[in-house]
Amino acid sequence: MAFLHVVFVGLVIAAIAAAAWFLTPRGKNQVLIRSSVTLTLICCYLMWAITYLAQLHPLIAPRKSDLRHAEY
Amino acid sequence: MSSEYPSFFTSEEMSLVQIYIPSETAHSTISELAELGVVQIKDLNPSVSSFQRPFTPRLRRLAEAARRLRLFEGQIKSLSPPLGIPPLSAIPPFPTVGPRAQNAYDELEERLKEHEKKLSDINRSFEELSKRRGELEEKSSVLKETAGFFNEAEHRHTEIRTSFDDGDGTQPLLEHAAEYGTLPGDSGLSGFDLEFVSGTIERTRMPTFERILWRILRGNLYMNYAEIEEPFVDATSGKETVKDVFIIFAHGAELLGKIRKVSESMGATLYTIDSSQDKRADALREVSTRLEDTDQVLNNINQTRRVELSKIAENLEAWKDAIRREEEVYKTMNLLSYDQGRKTLVAEAWCPTRDLTNIQLGLRRAMETAGTSVPAILSELRTHQTPPTYFQTNKVTEPFQAMMDAYGIPTYQEISAGTIAVVTFPFLYGLMFSDTFHGFLVLLTGAALIFYEKKLSQKKLDEMLGMLFFGRYNLLLMGIFSMYAGFMYNDFASKSVTIWQSGWEWPEDANGTVAAESTGKVYPFGLDPAWNGAVNSLQFTNSLKMKLAIVIGVLHMTFGICLQVPNHIRFKQRISIYVEFIPQILFLWSIFGYLIVLIIAKWATDWSKSATGPPGLLNLLIGIFLSPGTVDPATQMYPGQAFVQVTLLLIAVACVPVHLLGKPYFLYREHQRVVGQGYRGLTGQENGHPTSDVDEDEEDGVGQAVADEGHEEHPWDFADIMVHQVIHTIEFCLGCISNTASYLRLWALSLAHSQLSDVLWTMTIEKAFLFEGGIVVQSVFIFFMFAMWLALTVFILCCMEGLGSFLHAVRLHWVEFNSKFAMCTGIAFQPLSFAFEDDDADA
Repeated sequence: MAFLHVVFVGLVIAAIAAAAWFLTPRGKNQVLIRSSVTLTLICCYLMWAITYLAQLHPLIAPRKSDLRHAEY
Repeated sequence: MSSEYPSFFTSEEMSLVQIYIPSETAHSTISELAELGVVQIKDLNPSVSSFQRPFTPRLRRLAEAARRLRLFEGQIKSLSPPLGIPPLSAIPPFPTVGPRAQNAYDELEERLKEHEKKLSDINRSFEELSKRRGELEEKSSVLKETAGFFNEAEHRHTEIRTSFDDGDGTQPLLEHAAEYGTLPGDSGLSGFDLEFVSGTIERTRMPTFERILWRILRGNLYMNYAEIEEPFVDATSGKETVKDVFIIFAHGAELLGKIRKVSESMGATLYTIDSSQDKRADALREVSTRLEDTDQVLNNINQTRRVELSKIAENLEAWKDAIRREEEVYKTMNLLSYDQGRKTLVAEAWCPTRDLTNIQLGLRRAMETAGTSVPAILSELRTHQTPPTYFQTNKVTEPFQAMMDAYGIPTYQEISAGTIAVVTFPFLYGLMFSDTFHGFLVLLTGAALIFYEKKLSQKKLDEMLGMLFFGRYNLLLMGIFSMYAGFMYNDFASKSVTIWQSGWEWPEDANGTVAAESTGKVYPFGLDPAWNGAVNSLQFTNSLKMKLAIVIGVLHMTFGICLQVPNHIRFKQRISIYVEFIPQILFLWSIFGYLIVLIIAKWATDWSKSATGPPGLLNLLIGIFLSPGTVDPATQMYPGQAFVQVTLLLIAVACVPVHLLGKPYFLYREHQRVVGQGYRGLTGQENGHPTSDVDEDEEDGVGQAVADEGHEEHPWDFADIMVHQVIHTIEFCLGCISNTASYLRLWALSLAHSQLSDVLWTMTIEKAFLFEGGIVVQSVFIFFMFAMWLALTVFILCCMEGLGSFLHAVRLHWVEFNSKFAMCTGIAFQPLSFAFEDDDADA
C-alpha cells in the first residue's frame, strides 16, 4: 500500500525532528536551531509527500509526440 | 525575571531605570552607556525648547568644529593629485573619555580654528594671485591675437595710404590709427581719427555684443575678433570659461566712450594696448615674465596648502569620530534633567532587564575613567508605561526580523514571526523560484557573501551590495529551498534530472503522439522525469502545483492562527482563545481543511478500481455552498458525504456569530461585574480586567519608586469594542477565502518561472544545437548562444524573477500570515549608540 510509505516516512521525519529537538545543545541559539530544524523538516516532508501522493494513482499518463528511442 | 537566554520569538523584557549621575562623571557615564548600546534615554525635559537646554552652547561649538572638519575634508578631497585620508583604524585614537578628554577637546577646537585661519589666508592669497594670473593670461592673449589684426591692417594701410596720397597728400596719416577701407559710413575718408578698444569677452556673449555695438554706433565701427583656444579656469570655483579677444576700431572719443561702456556692461574686460608693434612686443615680454613669476608664487602657495592639508588629513578621521561622539554625548545630556543645586543629572532610560548587570558594571567603569569615587546610581522603576520593543537578533535572524518589523513593530512581548520566517520565508520563496540550477546560483551568491563576511563587513558597501550583504543568510537559505523545490518539481534550468527509475515506460513503436504506460512504480523523490517535455505535462504539473499551493497555504494560515494562543495567554485574554481562536480554526478547517482532506483522499484513491469516478474538487467545493446536502452519486467519494458536508457548513456558519459576539459579550459581563462590585475608574483598570496580579506586583515592588506619569486611561466603550469586533470578523471570514486564493501565487509564479526558463532554452541553446551548417559555424553559434543563455538566465531568471518571488514571499508573510495574529502596536527600541548608521560626511 503506497499510502503507507507516506505515513512511514512521516514517522521517520517525526523521529528525526524529535531527536534534533533533544540533541540541540543548550545555548543562546537553542530556540533558533530547534525551531528551524523542526520547521525545515515539516516543510520539506510536506512538499515531498504531496508530490509523491499526486503520482500514486495518476489519472492521466504523459504523452509525447517527438519520441526518439535512441535516447531512452 | 527573564530567562537565561533570549527568546527569539518575543521581544526582550524591558525595565525602566533611573540613573543618578554626579555631574563630574556625567560625560564618561553617557559615553560608556553609548558604548554598551542597550539603553534608550528618555527625554525628561520635553517642554524645554532645544535652545534653552543646558548643553546647547557646547553643542553649537561642536557643530562649528564639525563644520570646519567638513570644510577641510572637502578641500582635501578636491586636491589633485589626491591626498589619501588614513582610515580610523590606522591612526592613534583621540582621547574621547577620561580626565583629559575635556582639555583635549578644547585643544582640538583651538587647533581647528587655527587651521581654518591659516587655510583661509592661504586660500585668499591663492585666489588673489590666480585672479591676477588670469588677467595676465588674458592680456597676453589679447596682445598675441591683436598682433594679427594689426599686421593685417598694416598691410592694407599701405595700400590705402597710396590712395590717400593721391587725393590729399598734405595730411599725414595718424600714426596710431589703423583704418580699413570697407568701413561703412567712412565715405568721406576725411579726418579719420581711428582709435581702438580691445579686450576679452565670453564667447557666448559675442554675438549679442556685436549686434548691440552695431546698433548703437549705427555701423560706425570695424570689429575683429578671434577665439582663444584654451579656456580660462577660475581658481576658486574651477569653472571653465571660453573667451574671445576682440578689437574694435572706431572713430572719435565719443564713440570710443560708448564702446567702452557697452563692453563693461556686457562683462568684457578691456586691456589698453599700444598700436606700435615694438611697444606691444615689449608689453608681451613683460607680461610673460610677470606670468612666470606669478606661476612660481602660485606653485609655492599650492605647496604650502598641500602640506597644511596633509597635516590635517593625518588625523581627520579621528577628529571626525571624536566630534561625532562628543555631539552624541551632549545631545543625550540635554535629555537629562539637570539639578543645579545637587550637582547631579537624572536620567530615565529603558533597557533590557537582562542587561541590567552589564549596565551596573558600565557605570562603575565610567566612574573609574572619570577618576572620581562617586559612582552613578541606578535604580529600577515600576511603571505602567509600555516599554519599547527590542528583539535580540543574530546575523541569521536579523534580516528576517527586519522584514517582519517593516510590516509593523510588534507589540511589546508579542510573538513575532521573525524567527519562524527563517524557514517559512525561504520555503515559500523556493516554491515560487523552483529551479535547482537557479537556486544553486542564488545559493552561491549567498555563500560567497558569507565566505567573505569578515572582509565585506569592514568595507563600506554601496546600497545594492549592502542590502544583499545584510540578507546573506537569507540568500543562502533561499538558494537551498529553491534547490529542494527544484528537485521536487524536477526542474533543472527547464530540463529534468533522472535519478531513479521512472515510473513510466514509453512504447517501443513510437509513431505520432504516444502515451506512456505505467510500470506500477512511483518515482520516489519528486516529479517523474517522464513528464518533462510531454505534451500534457502542464496539465499534470498545474494540477499538482495548484493543490500544493492550497495545502501549504491553509497549513501556513493555520500556523498563523495558532500563534494567537501564546499572545492571548501572555496578554491575559484567555477568553479570546475560546471566542476567537477556536472559531477561527473551525471556520478555516471546515471549509478549506476539508478541501485539503479531499485533495489527499482523491490522490490516495485508486480510481481505476473504484466504482465511482473521480470528482472535480473545485465544483465539489462550490457545490457545498450552492446546493448543500446534495452530492452527485457518480462522483461520490464516501458514504455519508452529503451529511458530513452539511455539518461542516453549519459549523462554519455557526462560527461567525460566536466570533462576532463572543468577545464583546464576555467583556460586557466582566465590566458589569466590576461595576457591580463598586469599582469605578480610579485605577485605570476599568476596561474589564481587574487582574488579580496587580497586587502581587505591588508586593514585589516594595520600596521601589513608581513612575506613573503618562499613564493612559481607557474609558470603557462598548460601541468601540463592537465595531472593532465586527471589522475583525469580516476581515477574517473574507480573508480566509481571499487569502487561500492568494496562496495560488505559489503555483502561478512557479509556472511562470518554469515556462520562462523553457522558452529561454528553446530560443537559445536548442536553436544552436539544431543548427546545421558546418562544425565550425555551429560551434561558434553554440558558444554565443550559450553566453546569451547564461546572461539571460542570470539577469532575467535569477535577478528579476528572484526579486519577483521575493516580493511575493514577503507579501504572503505580511498579509496572509501576519494578519492572523500580529497586533503590531509597538514602538521600536532606539538605543543610544556610537554606531553611526548614516555617514553624513558627504552632506
